[in-house]
Amino acid sequence: MAISPGYFIGEAWSSFRRNWVMSLVAVTIIYISLLLVGTFFLTGAIVNRIATSFEQKVSISIFMKDGAAPADVQALQGDMQKDPRVDSVSYVSKTQALERFKERTKNSPQLVEQLRGNPLPASFEVKLKDPRQVAAVVKTIKADPALAKVIKNAEEDVHWGQTIVENLFAATGIVRLFVLVFVILLLVVSLVLIGNTIRLAIYSRRKEIGIMRLVGASNGFIRTPFLFEGVFQSVVGALLASGTLLAAQAFLVPWLQRNLRFLPVSISGTTLAQLTGLLLLSAVVIGLAGSGAAVRRYLKV
Amino acid sequence: MISMKNVSKVYIADKPPALSDIDVDIAQGEFTFLVGHSGSGKSTLIKLLLREILPTTGEIIVAGQDVVHMRNWKIPFLRRNIGCVFQDFKLLPNKTSYENVAFALEVIGKSKHVIRTQVPEVLKLVGLDDKAESYPDELSGGEQQRVSIARAFVNRPPLLLADEPTGNLDPATSLGIMSLLNRINKTGTTVVIATHDREMVDSMRKRVIALENGKVIRDQSRGVYGYGD
Repeated sequence: MAISPGYFIGEAWSSFRRNWVMSLVAVTIIYISLLLVGTFFLTGAIVNRIATSFEQKVSISIFMKDGAAPADVQALQGDMQKDPRVDSVSYVSKTQALERFKERTKNSPQLVEQLRGNPLPASFEVKLKDPRQVAAVVKTIKADPALAKVIKNAEEDVHWGQTIVENLFAATGIVRLFVLVFVILLLVVSLVLIGNTIRLAIYSRRKEIGIMRLVGASNGFIRTPFLFEGVFQSVVGALLASGTLLAAQAFLVPWLQRNLRFLPVSISGTTLAQLTGLLLLSAVVIGLAGSGAAVRRYLKV
Repeated sequence: MISMKNVSKVYIADKPPALSDIDVDIAQGEFTFLVGHSGSGKSTLIKLLLREILPTTGEIIVAGQDVVHMRNWKIPFLRRNIGCVFQDFKLLPNKTSYENVAFALEVIGKSKHVIRTQVPEVLKLVGLDDKAESYPDELSGGEQQRVSIARAFVNRPPLLLADEPTGNLDPATSLGIMSLLNRINKTGTTVVIATHDREMVDSMRKRVIALENGKVIRDQSRGVYGYGD
């Protein structure tokens, strides 16, 4: 059949204009639903980023005994740097350690004055690529024979805050799971809601579909304008929701950064792109599925 | 044009059939009334011809096509050979007269050029060339029925089915609709009208098939509605 896509687009547009109240209701509900999904998606991204920043503070400290042979120290450093799980190993000398101590206690200088000489040990600070592997890396380091030569006691001189780290990971894990489940639930609810709205809009036009069948319109011919319209409505709703969210985050994120200095609040460009993609993709899927399912019901011969 | 052989339709198994053992042949170019009380089976017969429903038993040929054994996807093509007119007009409320008529052509993939020439032509035939831009709710009942006849006839189908076309109209308007259908019949189109409009049937003196309780009780070539009932 030689019918141009232009016909269907024209049909979808004119029916959008003529049934604008139903269309407006559909677009509004799609907009609000996707806005909710998007809000939680962004909140989730921020929470995830905060959780990650806490996790990245996890590091391993190794305190060395005074007078350890430089060759042994270098051997240990070399071993650790070779480990693919290790991100960086930095050496803090006795002098640097004293400087840091002075810096931290500059409000009570008498503390430093009481020190005789420099009692602070030199140390390594080991950062990991994936902080969750901290326990495994510690185990490897403790098994390194070079370690025993530079420290007094493996139990006391290798610090990684085991209990705190485990609690931290448990907490961030729960938060992440919660956010993920919530976003998925919200997405499902929106899909059902939007699908229903589109179905309602089509239900209000079942007479039209009956007439189309009567004058000999093929099923594909009847379905296509409704699909175009469903997708059109969903995409408009999704674009509005994305636009609102992008504008809102451009305003809110700097505000949060000013007012919650202790939390690293930020949203990456990738996240924003993902958000827009997610909303548009769900819009197209919902538009097609919702209107397809609804029209199908009235096409039964 | 229409051939029905031993056609029966049972809607609910234990109840008497809506149609039983119907044998009807309608030749090309005929003008036929289908009369009977409500529930006599007129509408069932029309629905069978349109393949909205299937007969329980029997064979039906419409416009050369075997309606009973037809594949579902072919039904739209059958309907393109049948113009339909209903008591409630069945116009799309959100399209103008012109667009309602043009719609029947768009559906079968006719070009814009064909639509632009045929639609005004058929609107003129039904006497509504000045109401082309009116929406159905701006038209009287008779005018709406004219639009629906224009829609049914615009692609020149060989068969025109009308189910109570004057059921909602006053006698004077009905007369106009009937003479319009008569004129369409003169162009060679087979016209079948289901009605219980006694005056109309009596005045037209056309073939009358009378149904009662799902059976053909009378088939006269220049008939009247009936005697006494």
